[in-house]
Parts: sequence; structure tokens; C-alpha cells
Amino acid sequence: MLKIENLHVSVEDTEILKGIDLEIRPGEVHAIMGPNGSGKSTLASIIAGRDDYEVSAGGIQFLGEDLLELDPEDRARMGLFLAFQYPVEIPGVNNLYFLKAALNAQRKARGEDELDAMEFWELVTERMRRVQMDEAFLKRPVNEGFSGGEKKRNEILQMSVLEPRFAVLDETDSGLDIDALKTVADGVNAMRSPERGFLVITHYQRLLDYIVPDVVHVMMDGRIVRTGDKDLAKALEAEGYALFRENPEPAIAQHA
Amino acid sequence: MAELADILEHPFQAEFQKLPGRQDPALIQQLRQSGVQRFTELGLPHRRQEAWRFTDLSAFTGHQYPLAQPVPLAADRLPVRSSADAIRLVFVNGYYSPSLSDDLSALPHGVTVTTLSAAAIEQTDALTSALGQAPTVADYPFVALNDALFTDGVVVHIAAGAVLETPLELVYHTHGQAIAAYPRNLIVLERGAQATVIEEHQGQGRYFTCPQTEILLADAAVCRYHKLQQEADEAWHLGSLRCYLSRDSQLSAHLLSAGGRLSRTEIIARLDGEGADCEFNGLSLVEDGQLVDYHACMEHAKPHGSSRQMFKSILNGKSRAVFDGLIKVVEQAQKTDASQTCRNLLLSRQALANANPRLEILADDVKCAHGATIGYLDPDALFYLRSRGISEAEAHSMLVFAFANEQLESLDSPGLRQRLEALLVERYYPSNL
Repeated sequence: MLKIENLHVSVEDTEILKGIDLEIRPGEVHAIMGPNGSGKSTLASIIAGRDDYEVSAGGIQFLGEDLLELDPEDRARMGLFLAFQYPVEIPGVNNLYFLKAALNAQRKARGEDELDAMEFWELVTERMRRVQMDEAFLKRPVNEGFSGGEKKRNEILQMSVLEPRFAVLDETDSGLDIDALKTVADGVNAMRSPERGFLVITHYQRLLDYIVPDVVHVMMDGRIVRTGDKDLAKALEAEGYALFRENPEPAIAQHA
Repeated sequence: MAELADILEHPFQAEFQKLPGRQDPALIQQLRQSGVQRFTELGLPHRRQEAWRFTDLSAFTGHQYPLAQPVPLAADRLPVRSSADAIRLVFVNGYYSPSLSDDLSALPHGVTVTTLSAAAIEQTDALTSALGQAPTVADYPFVALNDALFTDGVVVHIAAGAVLETPLELVYHTHGQAIAAYPRNLIVLERGAQATVIEEHQGQGRYFTCPQTEILLADAAVCRYHKLQQEADEAWHLGSLRCYLSRDSQLSAHLLSAGGRLSRTEIIARLDGEGADCEFNGLSLVEDGQLVDYHACMEHAKPHGSSRQMFKSILNGKSRAVFDGLIKVVEQAQKTDASQTCRNLLLSRQALANANPRLEILADDVKCAHGATIGYLDPDALFYLRSRGISEAEAHSMLVFAFANEQLESLDSPGLRQRLEALLVERYYPSNL
């Protein structure tokens, strides 16, 4: 469903991604692990449609379409979702209004009926229970004054409401205590299905104890240097990234 | 009237002779004379003066603006009522229009609302003890000009402990070409009294209006005051708002500027009793060719006072917003808590905003914060909304609307809030109508 081929990306003449190949099929959960500065978040931003990067070679296909040609809103309407590493605060726009506007924009684009206030309320409150968020958050401006953990829960809430076909979770675990981490993981696991794909980007192995991936990639310096199963994450936890720094191996594109 | 002779060379000279002031009581005559004198001394502003550096009046000062005469106005020209029970008084070209105004005979006990002209004839206590007594802006010539030339307006007096539950809505409509109107209001709340006053300015034509409002709050009085400036596109609005706060009194003000070619309101508030508290929320919707200017001065004269200023502007096309805010804290005003924020959202590359926050603090145990921002829409917020499937245009509208709408959050007149929200939706978020 998502196919990345030889993706090269730079920012102001500095190459950040140096040839990424990755394919994720429906139903699969892939994890990308890597140290700070390895290019993980750049990859997430490129997929979601940030335009302050330059793609110098390669491309991304999503559901058979050239993803890089699409505006961010069109990507979302096709069913792509990014849980932000740093969710943006939007003063003055309340969470309920924002979520309803987003869902209805997507439904409209897909030719589905928009939900009215009542239908939406039922949906959103049901999904809030799933991520253990209080209804009071709906009345508050989007992410404004939320704690780190509340912001991340809010991302998962949005994902649960929008029900994307493919979701990228960009360091959703960072800054979460263990209870919040479990809640977030439960929210993701509840959505796993044979039709839906996930790309989980993380710095730590811990998250992958709760969201068990099918495939794990190790990213270093803009390249995927190792691909394996969930045990690779454990090995990484035990031995650290230094192993890959000293003995860089060519990428094994298991699923290419 | 020797002072009048002094300004004969001035473009405003003709007006003084036309004023219906011969029957004025001595108090008003003195006020007018002192206004003439001060205006003559100050003269009209020019950009070499620090206070007018960014606000160019040269297109205004080149013309004469004869004193407006009363004209009839069709009732459908009036704005929608802010609430069904609002008590409305209407002034056209600075003169009272009884036929467009509500009956004032059934006001609650302790509440007196009269026209200034009637109060002058009756020489009511409210007028004789309070008119011209609020702190003034000595170097602002338009206070002096209004002192000299005011025609009519409203005198509100709320007796100690009395509460006016329904909002009082004062509508000033100016209509004509190259004419001038000088409305004037006096709002006096005695100890523990409460009232809500909405002052609205609108009109048709290329006119000049120079309104002045004084608000005097005795101990523990609570006043909500809202000024809506929605003048005609070609109008000049040079107004002033002078406030005096005694111990534990509260003033909550919302100021909207959404019209006029050039509008400036000079605000002064003196917190002259312990625990006095005031807030000024300004919202300026500035379109191509317009300029909106607020000069605000908070004078903390006693301990434990608090003041909050939050002025926001949204600038479109080739437009300009000017804000100059001063927090003054005298030596004895310890434990003052004052904040001042000015935020400008630029929607065009040609828009320009000037923010000049100033502090003059002589006390050593105070909390004073100030800040100013000038910028475009946050690209991260736009991207965030778009990444959820919201179109770029919709995201844009949503953010601009939100920026403005936040200023209405502290507005506790539901009817007025609804009206202003509708105005913001119409202007910035039409897809949400």
C-alpha cells in the first residue's frame, strides 16, 4: 500500500535521506528505529506532505498514486494519517470542532455523507473512552495547554476518529509514562486490521513491546541499514546503535 | 470669548460660532473654553510628533469639517440589537434622535439615563460633579476638541448598589460629506453599582467623528463597556476613552475597530484605589487602505491594582495597525499586576503593524508583563490542519477566525458576542456561514 523507492531528500543542500527503499503491505506494522538525526522524522514529514524538503530522487507510491504529487489534505483524504512527534497547538479552535471538520472534509471528499453534530458526538465520545481521554478535552483548543502525554493521546484520538488506511506514528512514545504508553498502544492495537498498515517510528524498543511489529528497520544516517523481525528491536536494545555504526551492513530489503 | 478669536485661522474656526452653547451652564462653558484653549495650543497633530509617527493625518488636516447638523435616519439603518432587552439611545450626527430611541421612563430604581443636553439644562448632580473629571490625555488634541465642541451624548448614573441588568446600547450614526460630529458620554457608577454599556459608531459618507467617553467608577462598581467602531469606509474616527477606577472597582472593556479610513482611540485608565481591576480587549479588523490606532495608558496609582491589555489586529491588503501601550506604576502602587500584549496577524505582504509597548515602573514589588508579536499565519498550524484532510483555504479561514474569536471569549454579553461572532464568520470564514 505504501512503496518507497530510492528516496533521496535534502534540506538546504544537506542530504538527509540517502536512498530509502521500503514497502508496507496492508495489515503490516513496520517499525523504524534509529538514533537522533538519522532521518526518521524527515521520512514521516515527507510522507505526510510537508513542503520544506526537496526530493532529489526516487518517489513514494500510496495506493498506486504518486504521493509526492498530492497536497497534504488529499493524502489525508486518501486515508493517510501522521501522528505528529510534536502536535501543534491551535489556539482558538476547539478540539471537537476541529475533529468534526476534519472527519467531514474527508467523508465529503470520499462521497460519503457528513456526520451531524449528534452522530459525531456519539462517535467521538466512544473513541475517547478507548484512549481514556476526558470529554473536557473536546471543549479545549486543539493541544493548547495539553501536557506531552495529553497531546499524544489526542493524536491517537484523531486517528481513531479518522480511521485512516495507513498511519505513521512519529515518536508517539516519546515523553510518555508507562500507563500513557499502554493506552496509546491499546489505541493503535485496537485499529490493527488486515486492511490497515502502520509505520511506527521510535527511538526506543519499549513501545514495540506493546505494539508488536511485523518488520523492524534500523535507520542510520539517512539509510535503512538493517531489516529484520521484532527480535531485531530487542537486539538493538541490548547492543545499541554503535554496533551498526561500526559495522554498517548493506540494507536487506526483505519486503522490496 | 477671546479664546475663540485665537483659532480663527484654524480650519475648525467656523464650528465654534455655530455651537448651540449659549444656554450652557457655567461648568460646560468653562469646559468648552478650556478645550478651545488647549486645542489652540496643541494644534493638529503631525508626523514629527512621537505620538503620531506612524499615523499620518495629512490627508485629514487639509480639509474643513463643518459641524454636522441633525438629519433624519431610517430605522433600518440601525444595527441589530445586541439583545432583545437592550435599552437603545440613538444619536445622528451627534444629536439625539428621540424617535429612534427607546423609552427611558421605566428604568429600574437608582438608574438614570439622560441625554447630556437634558442633563445640562437640569444641571444634574452626575453632570456637574463628574463631567470632565476623568483623567485626561493632555497632549491629545482630540480630547480638547471634543471638550470644545461636543454636541450631545448620554449621561448614565447608577446609584450606589443599583444594578442595570439590561445592556444600554448607544448608537452614533454620522451621515454626510466633510462634516464633523462630536458625541460625548459620561458614565458614572456609584459604590457597588453595575452596568453594561455598548457604544456603537457607524455612518455613511466621508465624515469626521470625534467621540469622547468618560467612565467613573466608585468603590466596588462593576462596569462592562464595549465600543464598536464600524464607521463608513471613508470616515475619520478620532476618539478618546477616559476611565477612573476607585477601590475594588472593575472595568471590562472590549473594543472593536472594523471600519473607517483612519481610526484612533486614545485610552487612559487610572487605577486610583486598592484592588481596582481593569481589562481592555481590542480587536481590529483592518482592510486595504485602512489604519487603526490604539494608544492606551494604564496608570497604577494605588497598591494591589491589576490591569490587562490584549490588543489584536488582523491586517489585510495595504493596511496598518498602530499600538502604543504604556503601563505606569507609581512608587506607592506596590503589588500591581499589569500585563500588556499586542498581537498582529498579517494576511498580506503589504500590511504593516507597529507595536510600541512601554513600561514606567517606580514601585519595586510589582508584576508587569508585556509582549508584542507581528507575523503571518503559523505554517505549522496550517500544515497540521491540512494533514487531517482540511483544505488549505478552510484551514486558513479557520485559523484567522480563531485568532479573532479568542478576543470574544471574555465577552459576557451573549447577544453581543453572537453578533460579533457572526461578523467574524462573515468576514473570515464565509464557508462556515
